Amino acid sequence: MAGRGRGHRMMSFSVDAVGIRESLPPTIHQPTPVFPVMEQKPLPLTGGEEAEYLLALKQDCRGAMRSLPCFIQPAVAQRDVERYSDKYHISEQTDRLKDWVVVVSDWKRFPRELRVHVRKAPGDGALLSCRDSGQQIQKKKKKVREEILLKLETLEKKEEQESSEGEGEMEKKQDEGAEAEEDYDEEEFEEETDYIMSYFENGEDFGGDSDDNMDEAIY
Amino acid sequence: MTAQEVRLCGLLMREHFGEVVEKVGTHLLRSGGQHLRAIVHETGVSADLVKKSLCVLMHHGACSFISGRKGPGSPPEYQASCDCILRILRYPRYIYTSKTLYGDTGELIVEELLQRGHMTMSGTVKTVADRLSQNMEDGQSVDYSEVSSVFSKLVETHFLQRCPPLDGAGMTASSTQAGPNPTAAASSSTLPNPESFSECYKVPHVTLVGRGKRQLATEEGEEQRSAKRAKMEPETHGDEGIYWQVNFTRFHQHFRDQVIISAVASKLDQTSSEIVRTILRMSEVTTSPTDSCTKPLSANEIFRSLPSSHNIPRQILDQYLTLLVDDPMEFVGKIGESGGGMFVLSILYFIAAAFLTSLPRSAPSISQPGTSHARVHRAGEVSLFGSRSARIFRLLLRKRHLEQKQVEDFAMIPAKEAKDMLYTLLSQNLVQLQEIPKTPDFAPSRTFYLYTANQLPTARMLLQKCYKTVSNLVERRLFETKENKRLLEKSQRIEAILASLQASGAEAEQLTEVEEMISAPEKQQLEVLKLHVNKLDSAENQVDETIFLLESYINSTC
Repeated sequence: MAGRGRGHRMMSFSVDAVGIRESLPPTIHQPTPVFPVMEQKPLPLTGGEEAEYLLALKQDCRGAMRSLPCFIQPAVAQRDVERYSDKYHISEQTDRLKDWVVVVSDWKRFPRELRVHVRKAPGDGALLSCRDSGQQIQKKKKKVREEILLKLETLEKKEEQESSEGEGEMEKKQDEGAEAEEDYDEEEFEEETDYIMSYFENGEDFGGDSDDNMDEAIY
Repeated sequence: MTAQEVRLCGLLMREHFGEVVEKVGTHLLRSGGQHLRAIVHETGVSADLVKKSLCVLMHHGACSFISGRKGPGSPPEYQASCDCILRILRYPRYIYTSKTLYGDTGELIVEELLQRGHMTMSGTVKTVADRLSQNMEDGQSVDYSEVSSVFSKLVETHFLQRCPPLDGAGMTASSTQAGPNPTAAASSSTLPNPESFSECYKVPHVTLVGRGKRQLATEEGEEQRSAKRAKMEPETHGDEGIYWQVNFTRFHQHFRDQVIISAVASKLDQTSSEIVRTILRMSEVTTSPTDSCTKPLSANEIFRSLPSSHNIPRQILDQYLTLLVDDPMEFVGKIGESGGGMFVLSILYFIAAAFLTSLPRSAPSISQPGTSHARVHRAGEVSLFGSRSARIFRLLLRKRHLEQKQVEDFAMIPAKEAKDMLYTLLSQNLVQLQEIPKTPDFAPSRTFYLYTANQLPTARMLLQKCYKTVSNLVERRLFETKENKRLLEKSQRIEAILASLQASGAEAEQLTEVEEMISAPEKQQLEVLKLHVNKLDSAENQVDETIFLLESYINSTC
């Protein structure tokens, strides 16, 4: 159109002549601020007993769901150097996996391909193995249980709770070694060691813990 | 699924199910139906974790699978939907409602079912009994039958329902049937509506005998447990394979009823709200959620069902009913004379009215500088623009199309300010401009410019803004907790030490010594953090109320 010069915005009338300069919004020279100043202050939140109860419920719910097996944590990242203690730490992960089969209560409602196969390779303890239930499993379970009972009686243990009652129907522990090993939560009996699990901590957590109740002196 | 919804779902999944599930879930939401291998490949997460995440999502109803579209042998496709995940925001409200209706037992039942997705009746009863027993004094425990009776009551009033049976779950089985009737396999694998299952609300006969168990730390408890393990039989209670879930539509219906009752109470009086409450209660289970009106009820029936505590005689009831019918708002209609007059309650009208009244109401937002959602409010009129803009907006809703001059006259606002406000509303898309030309060349001096406001598009836009608000609130809360993570961990450790010291009976000096490990400014910082987090949380709850209203309005009008 006639008024278009190179880069110049020329209108057929001038702004001054028509006298509308004040009613136009001011030209903007930079992007609008991220937190613009609000002309009206927002009203406060409604308080009251109900609101507080709802708040407490919400926070409880959140905290509770973190501890359920539905909350999936990815596996711990690989350390830079392979350590001897890794062999004894792997078993911590198996607890979560064990909880897993309790989460999904009825595999018939889920497609077959979603069944999680958990494998334990011989010796390196990378993963645990379990399979779908079958006749073989029942027999082996019974045999495993008898051995466990014997072991229990001979050892005269248990101050802590047994979480293996929840072991459930789906899991079977395949053992390369001679003895059946049970998945106890207790530290002493994770593997056939004589040491408690804190023996295998490599001191990377040192200094982060509270120094108050140490039984031994630190040098 | 809009971008805002997906973002909010991602944040909710991260908080409640972990980051792995968030990754898988957002991928599914964005890309629609996908096979397992495709998901594994595109998200880069290991196959095991993907399978677990899918199981978790399916357990909670957020994901469903259909057998492959390319024939009976193809792998199943998984689809996620936002609705179930967005409802996580409303969990506290559901739990609170069940507490008001059925007490602590009801509260715990609903809480367990919400957290775990699906559960059998026996499993729920046992867990709830154990939890209740833990909070009681020594020696007392809760009997399973009490919990079962509350469970049955919840089922009778349709708050809980059975999970529908999935025929398509056995993939290999369906392939053999595919030969004779290929269509049957396809149709059976779609998830049927739970209500279409005829036994949806039937409580199974469950043999549950026992009492809740407390966590016993004594030797006695140990022997019991080891003896029990010796049997190690899976305990069957006669209800294997029957899973229960929370019926969200029923809860939504209940919330809607409450809105209606409070609206009537504020417009008329308490007695009329009682009458309306009775009408609603009678039509609870007979009205489907999508009906716009309740089923007709005769005045005789209403009179019989009125609660006796209010002592409303028959004539007063009739007078109130005529009052409600004659009210210009028209929410109760009279449709017949049999049985003393048949009345229906127009639910649709209420939703629209509730929406209209919530629009100009002020928004709950945090009066804290620097929050990232400063511009987005629940129904931004008053907070953003002032009550006079709200007046203009309401005027436009009522009168549909108005010229600028007419707006100034009707709203009684001076011309200059009215023009300003209209332009701001226009720039925010809350009102639209309609041009009506007098001449075919649309010359500005010879065209009518009419302002109009549309309810439904505005509602949708506000809903998206609400989702954005909640996402911002959640992100801000996560940011605040992350910033102060070190401090939070320290305080948790100190609390744990204190608790263990107290349990082992330490002296006061040791306790004070431990407490002093946190310095005063750190304590103050913790207080401030707690205050912020609480504020953000309650803001989320309140925005969710608006989300509920907007969603029910949008769902009922289209």
